[in-house]
Amino acid sequence: MKFDPVPSGVYPELVHPEYKSTIKRGPLQPLLRLDAALPVRDNIATPALVLPGEIDLTRPEGCAGEAIGERIVVTGRVTDEDGKPVRNSLVEVWQCNAAGRYRHKKDQHNAPLDPNFNGWGKMLTDDEGRYRFVTVRPGPYPWGNHHKAFRPAHIHFSLFGNVYAQRLVTQMYFPNDPLFDYDPIFNSVPDAAARQRLVSRFSIEETMHEHLLGYEFDIVLRGRDATPMGL
Amino acid sequence: MTNQVNITTSQTIGPFSHEAWQWAVDATASVETTAPTVTVRGIIYDGDGAPINDAQLEAWNPHAAAAEAQQAIPGFRRIPSGEAGEFQFRLSRPADAPADAPAAFVTIFARGLVKHQFTAVFLDDAPVSPLLAQVPEARRDTLLARRQPDGSYRWDIRMQGDAETVFFDYT
Repeated sequence: MKFDPVPSGVYPELVHPEYKSTIKRGPLQPLLRLDAALPVRDNIATPALVLPGEIDLTRPEGCAGEAIGERIVVTGRVTDEDGKPVRNSLVEVWQCNAAGRYRHKKDQHNAPLDPNFNGWGKMLTDDEGRYRFVTVRPGPYPWGNHHKAFRPAHIHFSLFGNVYAQRLVTQMYFPNDPLFDYDPIFNSVPDAAARQRLVSRFSIEETMHEHLLGYEFDIVLRGRDATPMGL
Repeated sequence: MTNQVNITTSQTIGPFSHEAWQWAVDATASVETTAPTVTVRGIIYDGDGAPINDAQLEAWNPHAAAAEAQQAIPGFRRIPSGEAGEFQFRLSRPADAPADAPAAFVTIFARGLVKHQFTAVFLDDAPVSPLLAQVPEARRDTLLARRQPDGSYRWDIRMQGDAETVFFDYT
């Protein structure tokens, strides 16, 4: 498999001083372009690894009640650069709760934890490359990066794809968030169109009457001519 | 050729991935394998030489898939770095795998790392692989795990600095 070069500006700047933690962590040397066969890892996860409570985050396993917040469904297609569906591929998601707090020992934000919301799930894409999960809309939350720093509401996504080099971790945002212009993580991506591809779109089709609002978020992984090839 | 569809860009994993990612840590913590194993351990450092205590590391060893076929995720490891930036992978080394293959392909995620980085680790007493041969000689040390008296291997990851680890772009 060969990958087309990613156009300039589509990937974030590894050292983006407005996001302070990048200054000492982003590699400074140019990446080494490799001429190598890439390992394939089809089906890294089997359906047995995905539990029912992990596609409805509002009703986590072991919790008696339902998560508090604005219920939403998030769905979309995972494809490659040629528009081919990425099938049977593991998708992990995680997020803060409706009040803007993660269930994580290092999150000290003074907002309530929800006993019925863990904030993580995982699923497999289907034969069309689609994924779908139900959750609550995450809240914005403050962070120590700069004065009045609040993250736009977002859901973290981790995708494996079908080939090692397709691995992607990204964030899904919500339309028309007033915090976009002030967020150095969102703006670490120089290309405006690439940034907009991180913004989900409201979907009246996915919205369920008197129950929840629908959002669509399509994801495109690298890769073309996906001929299985080991090392 | 130009892309027909534009790819989705990357964002940082942030500091709060651990609960969501723990299932894979659990699934790979004590993998049973029919192959001999080696342990690679080290510390991940930032540009000041400070340990990175919120990284997530993944190791992928395609040659181990058969030896680990009974496991939930054969050939795959995921571990978070510890409070001192420490990490440890126990890797299968099947006899029928090429001697010069990387011990593992490694992917690095962390807060402040807006795109994950691809690298690989090689054992210093293995033959030089075609992959390693593409790395400028002066920087190959950054990908070599050094055999220790106890039989384990030591490999540190440096995100910046004179000995910055070589990171890859797959094209």
